[in-house]
Amino acid sequence: MRTYLEFALKKFQNKMVYRLDFFMGMINTLITIAVYLCIYKALYGNASVIDGVTYKMVATNFVIALGLSQAFTFNEMFMQDKIKDGSITNEFLKPVSFKLRMLSENIGEGLFKVVFHFFPALILTCLYTDICMPKSFANLVFMLLSMMLGYLVLWLISFIVQTWSFWLFSVWGIVTIKNVFINILSGSLLPLWFMPRPLKTMISCTPFESIYFTPVRIYLGQLSGMDIFKAMMIQCGWILVLYLTGNIFWKQGVKKLVVQGG
Amino acid sequence: MEHMIEVSHVKRYYKVAKREQGMGNSIRHLFKRKYEIKRAVDDVSFTIKKGEIVGFIGPNGAGKSTTVKMLSGILYPDDGSVKIDGFIPYKQRKQYVKNIGVVFGQKSQLNWDLPLIESFELMRYIYKIPMDLYEENLHQFTELLDMEDFLYQPVRQLSLGQRMRGDIVAALLHSPKIVFFDEPTIGLDVVAKEKIRNFIRYMNQKNDTTIIFTTHDMQDIEKICERLIIIDSGKKIYDGSIQDIKNRYTSIKNIKLILEDGRKEMRTYDTSKKPMNQIMEEIFRENQVKDISICETEIDEIIRDIYEGSSRILSSEL
Ligand SMILES: Nc1ncnc2c1ncn2[C@@H]1O[C@H](COP(=O)(O)OP(=O)(O)OP(=O)(O)O)[C@@H](O)[C@H]1O
Ligand SMILES: [Mg+2]
Repeated sequence: MRTYLEFALKKFQNKMVYRLDFFMGMINTLITIAVYLCIYKALYGNASVIDGVTYKMVATNFVIALGLSQAFTFNEMFMQDKIKDGSITNEFLKPVSFKLRMLSENIGEGLFKVVFHFFPALILTCLYTDICMPKSFANLVFMLLSMMLGYLVLWLISFIVQTWSFWLFSVWGIVTIKNVFINILSGSLLPLWFMPRPLKTMISCTPFESIYFTPVRIYLGQLSGMDIFKAMMIQCGWILVLYLTGNIFWKQGVKKLVVQGG
Repeated sequence: MEHMIEVSHVKRYYKVAKREQGMGNSIRHLFKRKYEIKRAVDDVSFTIKKGEIVGFIGPNGAGKSTTVKMLSGILYPDDGSVKIDGFIPYKQRKQYVKNIGVVFGQKSQLNWDLPLIESFELMRYIYKIPMDLYEENLHQFTELLDMEDFLYQPVRQLSLGQRMRGDIVAALLHSPKIVFFDEPTIGLDVVAKEKIRNFIRYMNQKNDTTIIFTTHDMQDIEKICERLIIIDSGKKIYDGSIQDIKNRYTSIKNIKLILEDGRKEMRTYDTSKKPMNQIMEEIFRENQVKDISICETEIDEIIRDIYEGSSRILSSEL
């Protein structure tokens, strides 16, 4: 465990080396928030409620989803790069689990973005717009828990796609398409409340809803009691399914791995 | 004595997509590919005892790196078996790699953005190295390899030779029982090379570490190891001591001549075919000799001879 914590910390430190990156990232986040909030504001016009959803809820959804998506962004070319330049050998030469190592580094990277890009931007945002507070303290706690599960769902989807680089020369295209799907279907751009009903039903059968939307709904108090529990069980279910799928690809891939160079 | 490393009938083939030039062929290539099988390692067997240092050489593309990759557990052999210290490397990878250290001279394992010392720290966690051992090794290695100056510099700023030393230390901090070096001296200056050679010898003597290393520098071979394995086109063509291979060449002499008119000449003779007496007679009869020197064949030359397959003497025995 200590080893993996160290991976995360080292990645975090690694990121701090690039100072410019830090400022640009923060400004970028700030602009993104400002632009989207303006768009939502314009959409709402004078109406205070659309489809039973207030502007404040939309703004909250957006800000949280953005925060999560920052925590949830990581280098998705990680595996491909390692396979391509052959440095995956370095990973295999260490008595550590490659998957856990990748996960911990990704978490370190996400944490960096949340702390240095998102939090400063969030504080500034709160100065000119008000967003919803969590329904209750318990909701906040459950939201954090559900958020971690959401992270795993997202990470595992990415992991599966990344394992395809054992067979494909480039997974960039697939990763991009995957991310478009995730952005649309997970409700991080347009909240799922506004999706047409059939689409909404369809999405609820996919893992996408589990990523951002479940934590946001818990935060806002749209889910409560048993529903929270049920939503989290669904998240866990997806984690299991995705993990097993990813593992199959991983095992097959490692077998056929051809280490380049040397 | 029991064998530390047992390699028997190992094969590794690569499937290489064959590509023809031209636009038409490139498009055709998208749909239908022709594959070619490349026998990178083709039925290689050998055993190595604990504490041995073995130089593993062969021309470019002979299959050295591929073999090292199989020994270190990152490639599955297509056929045959590898057993090292009781482990099957590619099957029991996580357990196995605790016991080994690997340095790929052409690839760094260090964290590009962090100072060298932090990469070493990370090794301490990865291998769960006890603090006292870590400090002892770190201290000793950095002193032997003369690294105090750049320990705190980010790896991306290091020169090739500095980085290589960093890589070697990183791979050995956990005092592995077996070490594989794939071209540890590539691109280094004479002083750095010498340091690394001494270091490798020192590791071997101090801890009885079993070491395999590949190189293209025959000086490395002469100075570090006693035993030599030569492979070519995936096949083992020599396995024995360096002295042995030299002995087989003792009858080959290089004779350097400086003639009266200032011309220099270099001739090679085989004294087992023609006695020295006769050679000298011929030389003196035909030339006006100002100066003459007789040299043994250099190891470089011997190896070149073997690679070129013209093995004047070895051919009969191999
Ligand atoms: N990933 C790969 N895909 C296809 N062929 C490969 C691959 N890696 C190596 N080969 C081929 O296998 C053969 C052996 O390669 P290897 O890297 O083991 O040689 P080497 O002995 O290390 O050579 P060098 O001294 O140049 O490093 C070469 O002919 C090479 O072209
Ligand atoms: Mg090589």
